[in-house]
Amino acid sequence: MLSAFVRAFRTPDLRRKLLFTISIMVIFRVGSFIPTPGVDYGNVQQCVASMDGTNDLLGLVNLFSGGALLQLSVFALGIMPYITASIITQLLRVVIPRFEALHKEGQQGTAQLTQYTRYMTIGLAILQSTTVITVARNNLLFPECPVPLIPDDSVTTIVLMVITMTAGTALIMWLGELISERGIGNGMSLLIFTSIAATFPGAMWSIAGGENGLTNFVIVMLVILLVIALVVFVEQSQRRIPVQYAKRMVGRKMYGGSSTYIPIKINMAGIIPVIFASSLLAIPGLAAQFGDQTAGWVIWLSTYVAAPEAPLHIALYLVLIIFFAYFYTAITFNPDEVADNMKKYGGFIPGIRAGRPTAEYLDYVISRITAPGSVYLAFVALIPLLVFIWLGVGANIPFGGASILIVVGVGLETVKQIESQLQQRHYEGFLR
Amino acid sequence: MSESAGAAAAGAEGAGDGSRPGDRTSRRGIFGRIALFVRQVFAELKKVVRPTRSELITYTTVVLVFVAVVMAFVTVIDLGIGLATGWIFGG
Repeated sequence: MLSAFVRAFRTPDLRRKLLFTISIMVIFRVGSFIPTPGVDYGNVQQCVASMDGTNDLLGLVNLFSGGALLQLSVFALGIMPYITASIITQLLRVVIPRFEALHKEGQQGTAQLTQYTRYMTIGLAILQSTTVITVARNNLLFPECPVPLIPDDSVTTIVLMVITMTAGTALIMWLGELISERGIGNGMSLLIFTSIAATFPGAMWSIAGGENGLTNFVIVMLVILLVIALVVFVEQSQRRIPVQYAKRMVGRKMYGGSSTYIPIKINMAGIIPVIFASSLLAIPGLAAQFGDQTAGWVIWLSTYVAAPEAPLHIALYLVLIIFFAYFYTAITFNPDEVADNMKKYGGFIPGIRAGRPTAEYLDYVISRITAPGSVYLAFVALIPLLVFIWLGVGANIPFGGASILIVVGVGLETVKQIESQLQQRHYEGFLR
Repeated sequence: MSESAGAAAAGAEGAGDGSRPGDRTSRRGIFGRIALFVRQVFAELKKVVRPTRSELITYTTVVLVFVAVVMAFVTVIDLGIGLATGWIFGG
Protein backbone atom coordinates (compact mmCIF):
# COMPACT_ATOMS: atom_id res chain seq x y z
CA MET A 1 0.00 0.00 0.00
CA LEU A 2 2.74 2.38 0.91
CA SER A 3 4.52 1.45 -2.27
CA ALA A 4 1.43 2.58 -4.14
CA PHE A 5 1.80 6.01 -2.57
CA VAL A 6 5.45 6.07 -3.56
CA ARG A 7 4.56 5.04 -7.09
CA ALA A 8 1.91 7.73 -7.20
CA PHE A 9 4.62 10.27 -6.50
CA ARG A 10 7.02 8.67 -8.98
CA THR A 11 4.66 9.13 -11.89
CA PRO A 12 5.47 12.63 -13.17
CA ASP A 13 1.97 13.48 -14.34
CA LEU A 14 0.29 12.25 -11.20
CA ARG A 15 2.93 13.84 -9.00
CA ARG A 16 2.23 17.21 -10.56
CA LYS A 17 -1.48 16.81 -9.95
CA LEU A 18 -1.01 15.70 -6.36
CA LEU A 19 1.42 18.50 -5.54
CA PHE A 20 -0.91 21.02 -7.17
CA THR A 21 -3.81 19.80 -5.06
CA ILE A 22 -1.75 19.84 -1.89
CA SER A 23 -0.49 23.37 -2.47
CA ILE A 24 -4.02 24.61 -3.07
CA MET A 25 -5.07 22.97 0.18
CA VAL A 26 -2.25 24.84 1.91
CA ILE A 27 -3.39 28.15 0.42
CA PHE A 28 -6.89 27.36 1.60
CA ARG A 29 -5.68 26.79 5.13
CA VAL A 30 -3.52 29.94 5.13
CA GLY A 31 -6.55 32.01 4.20
CA SER A 32 -8.51 30.49 7.04
CA PHE A 33 -6.09 32.06 9.48
CA ILE A 34 -5.66 35.58 8.12
CA PRO A 35 -8.03 37.86 10.02
CA THR A 36 -10.44 40.09 8.17
CA PRO A 37 -9.54 43.80 8.40
CA GLY A 38 -11.48 45.52 11.15
CA VAL A 39 -11.36 42.51 13.46
CA ASP A 40 -9.37 42.74 16.63
CA TYR A 41 -7.19 39.65 16.32
CA GLY A 42 -6.15 39.55 19.96
CA ASN A 43 -9.73 39.79 21.19
CA VAL A 44 -10.92 37.06 18.85
CA GLN A 45 -8.18 34.73 20.04
CA GLN A 46 -9.09 35.48 23.63
CA CYS A 47 -12.78 34.74 22.94
CA VAL A 48 -12.09 31.53 21.05
CA ALA A 49 -9.84 30.33 23.85
CA SER A 50 -12.38 31.19 26.54
CA MET A 51 -15.17 29.29 24.84
CA ASP A 52 -15.80 25.65 25.77
CA GLY A 53 -17.10 23.49 22.95
CA THR A 54 -18.59 24.96 19.86
CA ASN A 55 -21.41 27.39 19.46
CA ASP A 56 -24.53 25.29 19.05
CA LEU A 57 -26.12 27.20 16.24
CA LEU A 58 -23.15 28.05 14.14
CA GLY A 59 -21.55 24.67 14.75
CA LEU A 60 -22.17 23.18 11.33
CA VAL A 61 -21.28 26.32 9.41
CA ASN A 62 -18.16 26.71 11.48
CA LEU A 63 -17.30 23.07 10.85
CA PHE A 64 -17.60 23.43 7.09
CA SER A 65 -15.33 26.43 7.18
CA GLY A 66 -12.72 24.52 9.18
CA GLY A 67 -13.03 26.73 12.22
CA ALA A 68 -12.41 29.84 10.13
CA LEU A 69 -15.83 31.29 10.88
CA LEU A 70 -15.27 31.78 14.58
CA GLN A 71 -11.86 33.27 13.78
CA LEU A 72 -13.62 35.77 11.48
CA SER A 73 -10.87 35.18 8.96
CA VAL A 74 -10.76 36.11 5.30
CA PHE A 75 -12.14 32.67 4.40
CA ALA A 76 -14.70 32.76 7.20
CA LEU A 77 -17.55 31.61 5.00
CA GLY A 78 -15.61 28.70 3.61
CA ILE A 79 -17.06 26.84 0.70
CA MET A 80 -20.59 26.88 2.10
CA PRO A 81 -22.02 29.59 -0.21
CA TYR A 82 -20.74 27.68 -3.23
CA ILE A 83 -22.32 24.44 -2.04
CA THR A 84 -25.60 26.15 -1.34
CA ALA A 85 -25.53 27.88 -4.71
CA SER A 86 -24.83 24.69 -6.62
CA ILE A 87 -27.55 22.83 -4.76
CA ILE A 88 -29.97 25.65 -5.51
CA THR A 89 -29.05 25.67 -9.21
CA GLN A 90 -29.67 21.96 -9.35
CA LEU A 91 -32.98 22.28 -7.56
CA LEU A 92 -33.99 25.15 -9.83
CA ARG A 93 -33.74 22.81 -12.80
CA VAL A 94 -37.04 21.39 -11.67
CA VAL A 95 -38.68 24.78 -11.42
CA ILE A 96 -37.20 26.82 -14.25
CA PRO A 97 -37.49 25.21 -17.69
CA ARG A 98 -34.58 27.28 -19.02
CA PHE A 99 -32.21 25.68 -16.51
CA GLU A 100 -33.34 22.21 -17.57
CA ALA A 101 -32.89 23.16 -21.23
CA LEU A 102 -29.39 24.44 -20.47
CA HIS A 103 -28.56 21.23 -18.65
CA LYS A 104 -29.61 19.16 -21.64
CA GLU A 105 -27.64 21.33 -24.04
CA GLY A 106 -24.38 19.65 -23.13
CA GLN A 107 -21.09 21.29 -22.47
CA GLN A 108 -21.99 24.84 -23.35
CA GLY A 109 -25.18 24.74 -21.33
CA THR A 110 -23.34 23.33 -18.35
CA ALA A 111 -20.81 26.15 -18.60
CA GLN A 112 -23.67 28.63 -18.56
CA LEU A 113 -25.15 26.92 -15.51
CA THR A 114 -21.77 27.07 -13.76
CA GLN A 115 -21.71 30.76 -14.51
CA TYR A 116 -25.12 31.21 -12.85
CA THR A 117 -23.88 29.19 -9.88
CA ARG A 118 -20.93 31.55 -9.51
CA TYR A 119 -23.11 34.65 -9.57
CA MET A 120 -25.40 33.10 -7.01
CA THR A 121 -22.41 32.22 -4.85
CA ILE A 122 -21.38 35.87 -4.77
CA GLY A 123 -24.91 36.91 -3.84
CA LEU A 124 -25.11 34.31 -1.08
CA ALA A 125 -21.64 35.26 0.13
CA ILE A 126 -22.69 38.90 0.52
CA LEU A 127 -25.78 37.79 2.39
CA GLN A 128 -23.94 35.38 4.67
CA SER A 129 -21.00 37.65 5.38
CA THR A 130 -23.43 40.40 6.36
CA THR A 131 -25.16 37.94 8.68
CA VAL A 132 -21.92 36.76 10.24
CA ILE A 133 -20.64 40.29 10.75
CA THR A 134 -23.95 41.40 12.25
CA VAL A 135 -23.85 38.46 14.64
CA ALA A 136 -20.25 39.28 15.55
CA ARG A 137 -21.01 42.98 15.98
CA ASN A 138 -23.93 42.33 18.30
CA ASN A 139 -21.61 40.13 20.32
CA LEU A 140 -23.73 37.03 19.69
CA LEU A 141 -20.86 35.00 18.27
CA PHE A 142 -19.35 34.63 21.73
CA PRO A 143 -22.17 35.59 24.11
CA GLU A 144 -19.96 35.22 27.19
CA CYS A 145 -16.98 37.09 25.87
CA PRO A 146 -16.71 40.67 27.18
CA VAL A 147 -14.23 42.18 24.70
CA PRO A 148 -15.53 43.58 21.39
CA LEU A 149 -14.60 41.65 18.25
CA ILE A 150 -14.98 44.60 15.95
CA PRO A 151 -13.78 47.66 17.82
CA ASP A 152 -14.51 50.19 15.09
CA ASP A 153 -18.00 49.51 13.73
CA SER A 154 -18.34 52.39 11.34
CA VAL A 155 -20.09 51.74 8.04
CA THR A 156 -16.83 51.87 6.07
CA THR A 157 -15.27 49.13 8.15
CA ILE A 158 -18.34 46.92 7.93
CA VAL A 159 -18.55 47.36 4.15
CA LEU A 160 -14.85 46.60 3.86
CA MET A 161 -15.34 43.42 5.89
CA VAL A 162 -18.29 42.29 3.77
CA ILE A 163 -16.29 42.89 0.61
CA THR A 164 -13.27 41.04 2.01
CA MET A 165 -15.25 37.97 3.04
CA THR A 166 -17.12 37.88 -0.25
CA ALA A 167 -13.85 38.12 -2.15
CA GLY A 168 -12.50 35.33 0.04
CA THR A 169 -15.42 33.13 -0.94
CA ALA A 170 -14.87 33.91 -4.60
CA LEU A 171 -11.22 32.94 -4.21
CA ILE A 172 -12.17 29.65 -2.54
CA MET A 173 -14.57 28.96 -5.38
CA TRP A 174 -11.77 29.49 -7.86
CA LEU A 175 -9.39 27.31 -5.86
CA GLY A 176 -11.98 24.53 -5.82
CA GLU A 177 -12.48 24.75 -9.54
CA LEU A 178 -8.73 24.72 -10.10
CA ILE A 179 -8.47 21.47 -8.15
CA SER A 180 -11.24 19.89 -10.19
CA GLU A 181 -9.61 21.04 -13.39
CA ARG A 182 -5.93 20.36 -12.83
CA GLY A 183 -5.65 18.41 -9.62
CA ILE A 184 -7.10 15.21 -8.25
CA GLY A 185 -10.68 14.71 -7.24
CA ASN A 186 -13.57 17.11 -6.99
CA GLY A 187 -12.29 20.45 -5.72
CA MET A 188 -15.38 21.46 -3.83
CA SER A 189 -15.60 18.26 -1.85
CA LEU A 190 -11.85 18.15 -1.25
CA LEU A 191 -11.94 21.61 0.28
CA ILE A 192 -14.81 20.64 2.60
CA PHE A 193 -12.84 17.54 3.41
CA THR A 194 -9.83 19.67 4.31
CA SER A 195 -11.90 21.91 6.55
CA ILE A 196 -13.47 19.00 8.37
CA ALA A 197 -10.15 17.21 8.73
CA ALA A 198 -8.71 20.39 10.23
CA THR A 199 -11.22 20.33 13.09
CA PHE A 200 -10.80 16.62 13.89
CA PRO A 201 -7.66 16.67 16.05
CA GLY A 202 -9.01 19.41 18.29
CA ALA A 203 -12.26 17.54 18.78
CA MET A 204 -10.44 14.30 19.58
CA TRP A 205 -8.35 16.20 22.06
CA SER A 206 -11.39 17.69 23.74
CA ILE A 207 -13.03 14.26 24.04
CA ALA A 208 -9.91 12.64 25.42
CA GLY A 209 -9.43 15.49 27.84
CA GLY A 210 -12.99 15.48 29.16
CA GLU A 211 -14.30 13.49 32.12
CA ASN A 212 -13.66 9.74 31.81
CA GLY A 213 -11.93 10.76 28.61
CA LEU A 214 -10.20 7.51 27.77
CA THR A 215 -13.35 5.37 27.76
CA ASN A 216 -15.25 7.97 25.77
CA PHE A 217 -12.40 8.32 23.35
CA VAL A 218 -12.25 4.58 22.73
CA ILE A 219 -16.02 4.33 22.29
CA VAL A 220 -16.11 7.29 19.90
CA MET A 221 -13.27 5.84 17.84
CA LEU A 222 -15.02 2.47 17.67
CA VAL A 223 -18.28 4.09 16.59
CA ILE A 224 -16.43 6.06 13.93
CA LEU A 225 -14.68 2.95 12.67
CA LEU A 226 -17.97 1.07 12.47
CA VAL A 227 -19.66 3.94 10.66
CA ILE A 228 -16.77 4.19 8.20
CA ALA A 229 -17.01 0.47 7.47
CA LEU A 230 -20.77 0.77 7.05
CA VAL A 231 -20.44 3.72 4.69
CA VAL A 232 -17.81 1.94 2.62
CA PHE A 233 -20.00 -1.16 2.49
CA VAL A 234 -23.06 0.69 1.28
CA GLU A 235 -21.16 2.93 -1.13
CA GLN A 236 -19.59 -0.11 -2.74
CA SER A 237 -22.81 -2.09 -3.10
CA GLN A 238 -24.62 -1.83 -6.38
CA ARG A 239 -27.81 -3.03 -7.92
CA ARG A 240 -26.68 -3.98 -11.39
CA ILE A 241 -29.25 -3.78 -14.10
CA PRO A 242 -28.06 -5.92 -17.00
CA VAL A 243 -27.93 -4.23 -20.39
CA GLN A 244 -27.41 -6.06 -23.64
CA TYR A 245 -26.10 -4.21 -26.66
CA ALA A 246 -27.19 -5.37 -30.06
CA LYS A 247 -24.54 -6.05 -32.66
CA ARG A 248 -24.57 -3.64 -35.52
CA MET A 249 -22.49 -2.69 -38.48
CA VAL A 250 -21.33 0.86 -38.93
CA GLY A 251 -19.47 1.06 -42.22
CA ARG A 252 -17.25 -2.00 -42.21
CA LYS A 253 -16.84 -2.21 -38.49
CA MET A 254 -18.80 -4.28 -36.07
CA TYR A 255 -19.97 -2.52 -32.93
CA GLY A 256 -21.67 -3.67 -29.79
CA GLY A 257 -22.75 -7.14 -29.00
CA SER A 258 -21.47 -6.74 -25.49
CA SER A 259 -23.37 -7.06 -22.29
CA THR A 260 -22.82 -4.60 -19.48
CA TYR A 261 -24.85 -3.31 -16.63
CA ILE A 262 -26.07 -0.03 -15.25
CA PRO A 263 -24.65 0.25 -11.76
CA ILE A 264 -27.22 1.72 -9.42
CA LYS A 265 -25.91 2.64 -6.03
CA ILE A 266 -28.18 2.14 -3.06
CA ASN A 267 -27.64 5.72 -2.09
CA MET A 268 -27.41 7.62 -5.34
CA ALA A 269 -27.87 11.02 -3.78
CA GLY A 270 -24.57 10.88 -1.88
CA ILE A 271 -24.15 13.30 0.98
CA ILE A 272 -26.19 16.14 -0.49
CA PRO A 273 -29.41 15.25 1.40
CA VAL A 274 -27.56 15.36 4.70
CA ILE A 275 -25.91 18.69 3.92
CA PHE A 276 -29.17 20.13 2.76
CA ALA A 277 -31.20 18.84 5.69
CA SER A 278 -28.70 20.17 8.20
CA SER A 279 -28.51 23.57 6.52
CA LEU A 280 -32.30 23.82 6.51
CA LEU A 281 -32.44 22.82 10.16
CA ALA A 282 -29.87 25.48 11.00
CA ILE A 283 -32.27 28.20 9.86
CA PRO A 284 -34.61 28.15 12.89
CA GLY A 285 -31.60 28.38 15.17
CA LEU A 286 -30.23 31.35 13.25
CA ALA A 287 -33.64 33.00 13.30
CA ALA A 288 -33.75 32.56 17.05
CA GLN A 289 -30.38 34.31 17.30
CA PHE A 290 -31.85 37.51 15.96
CA GLY A 291 -35.01 37.52 18.05
CA ASP A 292 -35.43 38.78 21.56
CA GLN A 293 -33.82 36.08 23.72
CA THR A 294 -36.67 36.09 26.24
CA ALA A 295 -39.58 35.97 23.78
CA GLY A 296 -41.74 32.83 23.91
CA TRP A 297 -41.18 31.74 20.33
CA VAL A 298 -37.42 32.12 20.61
CA ILE A 299 -37.29 29.89 23.69
CA TRP A 300 -39.61 27.37 22.04
CA LEU A 301 -37.50 27.34 18.88
CA SER A 302 -34.21 26.92 20.66
CA THR A 303 -35.39 24.18 23.03
CA TYR A 304 -37.51 22.11 20.65
CA VAL A 305 -36.23 22.75 17.14
CA ALA A 306 -32.68 24.06 17.26
CA ALA A 307 -31.29 21.80 19.98
CA PRO A 308 -29.77 18.71 18.36
CA GLU A 309 -31.03 16.37 21.06
CA ALA A 310 -34.66 17.50 20.92
CA PRO A 311 -36.97 14.73 19.60
CA LEU A 312 -38.68 17.13 17.20
CA HIS A 313 -35.31 18.15 15.79
CA ILE A 314 -34.32 14.51 15.25
CA ALA A 315 -37.66 13.67 13.64
CA LEU A 316 -37.45 16.67 11.31
CA TYR A 317 -33.88 15.73 10.43
CA LEU A 318 -34.95 12.19 9.50
CA VAL A 319 -37.89 13.30 7.40
CA LEU A 320 -35.84 15.94 5.60
CA ILE A 321 -33.02 13.52 4.82
CA ILE A 322 -35.38 10.91 3.40
CA PHE A 323 -37.22 13.53 1.39
CA PHE A 324 -34.07 15.03 -0.07
CA ALA A 325 -32.64 11.59 -0.81
CA TYR A 326 -35.59 10.87 -3.07
CA PHE A 327 -35.69 14.36 -4.46
CA TYR A 328 -32.02 14.51 -5.32
CA THR A 329 -32.01 11.03 -6.81
CA ALA A 330 -34.89 12.09 -9.03
CA ILE A 331 -32.91 15.13 -10.13
CA THR A 332 -29.62 13.40 -10.81
CA PHE A 333 -30.86 10.22 -12.44
CA ASN A 334 -33.38 10.63 -15.19
CA PRO A 335 -34.79 7.23 -16.24
CA ASP A 336 -36.26 8.66 -19.47
CA GLU A 337 -32.90 10.04 -20.50
CA VAL A 338 -31.08 6.79 -19.73
CA ALA A 339 -33.71 4.74 -21.56
CA ASP A 340 -33.46 7.10 -24.52
CA ASN A 341 -29.70 6.83 -24.66
CA MET A 342 -29.85 3.05 -24.44
CA LYS A 343 -32.30 2.96 -27.31
CA LYS A 344 -30.05 5.23 -29.37
CA TYR A 345 -27.09 2.91 -29.01
CA GLY A 346 -29.06 -0.27 -29.44
CA GLY A 347 -29.04 -1.37 -25.84
CA PHE A 348 -31.83 -3.05 -23.96
CA ILE A 349 -32.53 -4.69 -20.64
CA PRO A 350 -33.22 -8.38 -21.26
CA GLY A 351 -36.94 -9.00 -20.97
CA ILE A 352 -37.93 -5.35 -21.12
CA ARG A 353 -38.83 -3.52 -24.27
CA ALA A 354 -36.87 -0.44 -25.24
CA GLY A 355 -38.27 3.03 -24.74
CA ARG A 356 -41.02 3.73 -22.25
CA PRO A 357 -41.18 0.29 -20.56
CA THR A 358 -37.43 0.54 -19.93
CA ALA A 359 -37.82 3.95 -18.36
CA GLU A 360 -40.64 2.64 -16.22
CA TYR A 361 -38.57 -0.33 -15.13
CA LEU A 362 -35.61 1.88 -14.23
CA ASP A 363 -37.92 4.14 -12.30
CA TYR A 364 -39.37 1.11 -10.50
CA VAL A 365 -35.94 -0.16 -9.47
CA ILE A 366 -34.71 3.25 -8.39
CA SER A 367 -37.71 4.13 -6.30
CA ARG A 368 -37.44 0.73 -4.56
CA ILE A 369 -33.67 0.87 -4.03
CA THR A 370 -33.69 4.46 -2.80
CA ALA A 371 -35.96 3.52 0.10
CA PRO A 372 -33.29 1.57 2.01
CA GLY A 373 -30.75 4.09 0.72
CA SER A 374 -32.50 7.02 2.33
CA VAL A 375 -33.07 5.10 5.55
CA TYR A 376 -29.36 4.23 5.61
CA LEU A 377 -28.45 7.87 5.11
CA ALA A 378 -30.70 8.99 7.94
CA PHE A 379 -29.33 6.20 10.12
CA VAL A 380 -25.70 7.12 9.50
CA ALA A 381 -26.46 10.78 10.04
CA LEU A 382 -28.17 10.09 13.33
CA ILE A 383 -26.31 7.24 15.03
CA PRO A 384 -23.15 9.17 15.88
CA LEU A 385 -25.31 12.03 17.12
CA LEU A 386 -27.25 9.73 19.44
CA VAL A 387 -24.11 8.03 20.72
CA PHE A 388 -22.47 11.34 21.48
CA ILE A 389 -25.51 12.66 23.27
CA TRP A 390 -25.62 9.43 25.26
CA LEU A 391 -21.93 9.80 26.16
CA GLY A 392 -22.46 13.47 26.91
CA VAL A 393 -19.56 14.63 24.78
CA GLY A 394 -21.57 17.22 22.90
CA ALA A 395 -23.53 16.67 19.74
CA ASN A 396 -21.84 19.29 17.67
CA ILE A 397 -18.36 17.91 17.62
CA PRO A 398 -17.29 17.28 14.07
CA PHE A 399 -17.85 13.54 14.21
CA GLY A 400 -21.50 13.93 13.39
CA GLY A 401 -22.88 11.68 10.71
CA ALA A 402 -22.73 14.41 8.09
CA SER A 403 -19.01 14.93 8.42
CA ILE A 404 -18.18 11.22 8.56
CA LEU A 405 -20.22 10.70 5.42
CA ILE A 406 -18.43 13.55 3.68
CA VAL A 407 -15.00 12.43 4.78
CA VAL A 408 -15.49 8.80 3.78
CA GLY A 409 -17.25 9.71 0.54
CA VAL A 410 -14.56 12.16 -0.54
CA GLY A 411 -11.80 9.83 0.62
CA LEU A 412 -13.17 6.94 -1.42
CA GLU A 413 -13.72 9.08 -4.48
CA THR A 414 -10.28 10.65 -4.39
CA VAL A 415 -8.45 7.39 -3.75
CA LYS A 416 -10.33 5.79 -6.63
CA GLN A 417 -9.32 8.63 -8.92
CA ILE A 418 -5.65 8.30 -7.99
CA GLU A 419 -6.07 4.56 -8.45
CA SER A 420 -7.47 4.90 -11.95
CA GLN A 421 -4.68 7.30 -12.85
CA LEU A 422 -2.17 4.73 -11.65
CA GLN A 423 -3.84 1.96 -13.55
CA GLN A 424 -3.67 3.94 -16.74
CA ARG A 425 0.06 3.35 -16.47
CA HIS A 426 -0.40 -0.31 -15.66
CA TYR A 427 0.62 0.02 -12.10
CA GLU A 428 -1.00 -1.83 -9.33
CA GLY A 429 -2.83 0.66 -7.20
CA PHE A 430 -3.91 0.72 -3.59
CA LEU A 431 -6.97 -1.38 -4.13
CA ARG A 432 -5.89 -4.85 -4.96
CA MET B 1 -56.86 -11.38 1.01
CA SER B 2 -54.71 -8.53 -0.02
CA GLU B 3 -51.91 -10.12 1.99
CA SER B 4 -51.83 -13.31 -0.03
CA ALA B 5 -52.29 -11.44 -3.29
CA GLY B 6 -49.44 -9.16 -2.33
CA ALA B 7 -47.24 -12.12 -1.52
CA ALA B 8 -48.07 -13.73 -4.84
CA ALA B 9 -47.35 -10.51 -6.69
CA ALA B 10 -44.09 -10.03 -4.85
CA GLY B 11 -43.15 -13.61 -5.57
CA ALA B 12 -43.81 -13.09 -9.22
CA GLU B 13 -41.95 -9.81 -9.11
CA GLY B 14 -38.96 -11.34 -7.44
CA ALA B 15 -38.88 -14.35 -9.71
CA GLY B 16 -37.42 -12.87 -12.85
CA ASP B 17 -35.45 -9.82 -13.70
CA GLY B 18 -38.00 -9.00 -16.32
CA SER B 19 -40.75 -8.29 -13.82
CA ARG B 20 -42.96 -5.37 -14.62
CA PRO B 21 -43.77 -2.77 -12.01
CA GLY B 22 -47.07 -3.73 -10.47
CA ASP B 23 -49.77 -1.74 -12.16
CA ARG B 24 -52.57 -3.50 -10.34
CA THR B 25 -51.59 -1.81 -7.10
CA SER B 26 -54.41 0.72 -7.31
CA ARG B 27 -56.96 -1.85 -6.23
CA ARG B 28 -55.30 -2.50 -2.89
CA GLY B 29 -55.86 -0.70 0.34
CA ILE B 30 -53.23 1.59 1.69
CA PHE B 31 -51.71 -1.05 3.98
CA GLY B 32 -51.68 -3.60 1.22
CA ARG B 33 -49.83 -1.17 -0.98
CA ILE B 34 -47.28 -0.39 1.73
CA ALA B 35 -46.74 -4.11 2.36
CA LEU B 36 -46.28 -4.68 -1.35
CA PHE B 37 -43.81 -1.81 -1.57
CA VAL B 38 -41.80 -3.18 1.33
CA ARG B 39 -41.73 -6.61 -0.26
CA GLN B 40 -40.59 -5.12 -3.55
CA VAL B 41 -37.87 -3.21 -1.72
CA PHE B 42 -36.58 -6.44 -0.21
CA ALA B 43 -36.81 -8.18 -3.57
CA GLU B 44 -34.62 -5.46 -5.08
CA LEU B 45 -32.24 -5.53 -2.13
CA LYS B 46 -31.64 -9.22 -2.73
CA LYS B 47 -30.30 -8.40 -6.17
CA VAL B 48 -27.76 -5.93 -4.84
CA VAL B 49 -24.16 -6.95 -5.38
CA ARG B 50 -22.29 -6.48 -2.14
CA PRO B 51 -18.55 -5.99 -1.79
CA THR B 52 -16.62 -8.99 -0.55
CA ARG B 53 -15.05 -9.12 2.85
CA SER B 54 -11.52 -8.47 1.62
CA GLU B 55 -12.72 -5.63 -0.58
CA LEU B 56 -14.47 -4.06 2.37
CA ILE B 57 -11.35 -4.34 4.51
CA THR B 58 -9.06 -2.88 1.83
CA TYR B 59 -11.34 0.04 1.10
CA THR B 60 -11.86 0.80 4.77
CA THR B 61 -8.12 0.76 5.47
CA VAL B 62 -7.36 2.87 2.44
CA VAL B 63 -9.94 5.45 3.47
CA LEU B 64 -8.64 5.41 7.03
CA VAL B 65 -5.04 5.89 5.89
CA PHE B 66 -6.02 8.64 3.47
CA VAL B 67 -8.01 10.50 6.10
CA ALA B 68 -5.23 10.07 8.66
CA VAL B 69 -2.60 11.36 6.23
CA VAL B 70 -4.64 14.41 5.27
CA MET B 71 -5.51 15.07 8.88
CA ALA B 72 -1.90 14.89 10.00
CA PHE B 73 -0.82 17.09 7.10
CA VAL B 74 -3.47 19.72 7.76
CA THR B 75 -2.72 19.70 11.48
CA VAL B 76 0.97 20.32 10.88
CA ILE B 77 0.22 23.08 8.38
CA ASP B 78 -2.31 24.61 10.76
CA LEU B 79 0.17 24.66 13.61
CA GLY B 80 2.71 26.42 11.44
CA ILE B 81 0.29 28.96 10.06
CA GLY B 82 -1.24 29.51 13.48
CA LEU B 83 2.16 30.36 14.92
CA ALA B 84 2.94 32.62 11.98
CA THR B 85 -0.35 34.53 12.17
CA GLY B 86 -0.03 34.82 15.92
CA TRP B 87 3.41 36.29 15.44
CA ILE B 88 2.35 38.68 12.67
CA PHE B 89 -1.02 39.89 13.98
CA GLY B 90 -0.65 39.21 17.67
CA GLY B 91 1.60 42.21 18.13
